[in-house]
Amino acid sequence: MQTKDEILAQIKASLTELFELDPGRITLAARLNEDLEIDSIDAVDLLDRLRRQTGMKISAEDFRSVRTVGDMVDAVYKIVQA
Amino acid sequence: MEKRETYLWRILVTGTCFTLFGLGGLILGLLVFPAMMLLPGDPAKRRARTRGLVQRAFRRFVFVMNGGGGISYEIRGRERLGRPGQLIIANHPTLVDVVLIIAFTPAPACVVKAAMFRNPFTRRVVQAAGYISNNPTDEMIEASAAALRSGDALVMFPEGTRTRPGQPLFFNRGAASVAVRAARVLTPIYIHCEPVVLPKGDSWYQVPRRRPHFTVEVGDDIDLAPYRELLPPKASRQLNAWLLDHYAARLETSGGYNGTRGN
Repeated sequence: MQTKDEILAQIKASLTELFELDPGRITLAARLNEDLEIDSIDAVDLLDRLRRQTGMKISAEDFRSVRTVGDMVDAVYKIVQA
Repeated sequence: MEKRETYLWRILVTGTCFTLFGLGGLILGLLVFPAMMLLPGDPAKRRARTRGLVQRAFRRFVFVMNGGGGISYEIRGRERLGRPGQLIIANHPTLVDVVLIIAFTPAPACVVKAAMFRNPFTRRVVQAAGYISNNPTDEMIEASAAALRSGDALVMFPEGTRTRPGQPLFFNRGAASVAVRAARVLTPIYIHCEPVVLPKGDSWYQVPRRRPHFTVEVGDDIDLAPYRELLPPKASRQLNAWLLDHYAARLETSGGYNGTRGN
């Protein structure tokens, strides 16, 4: 079972690798769209990456209300718990 | 400059074509497709039949537009259209573009304006043919990729809407993203219309003074191998930038992508 910290580390790694972001910018409060410039098409690529990394079935529906990195950690945590 | 009678005739032909298009959509959607549902076959087979019918209807529609003197056209390289898993992209100067492409491509899927799924004349047709709504969402990307993976040819307009005359060309990244994800082959079409007819913002009766001539040129396949080595976000960005430059240069030499109004 993963902790939220582990999930955050995983998401951070994905974001830095996929979008070449400075890890310092990826905080829980960072907004994906406004702060990290990740658009809806990037989000599809990001979901693909998370699916492959976690081996879980993550549907786009689970991420519909995700706005910040923190929201994303919560969404993945929920799926891990289920 | 042609005779005034010819000009008025072309307004009449254009009006008739709009009416035919709407009526055709209604008749297909309300009568023909429901009747076809009675024929045997799985959903994929039904969709293929529907798309084949749409293609034949569009072919006839082009015949009427051309024969009636509304437009004239030439198409080069159409034998390269309709290969399995082929993503076909085109610039989008006029309302007629999609009709010309679908008329000459064997049974393609197509990403169409979301409003066509609400329009009473078109909605049954786009649904029955399994076309994809252009809402810029993950669903559009996934559905487009799935269509290509299943072996369909798919038509997309990277501009997302008709070219705005007088403004620089702009491509959404959706088409490039779908290309690097799932296209077996990526084929560009360059559409040129002189003088431009029914661009963004024009009404049906705003017909240019000369008969518009369409040149639809199917270009060489674009090599996707270099982009497949990159991570997806970078690949789609680089491909999109390349495509935009490529089209801007290509359309510039053929008379400018903004077209001339010729009025």
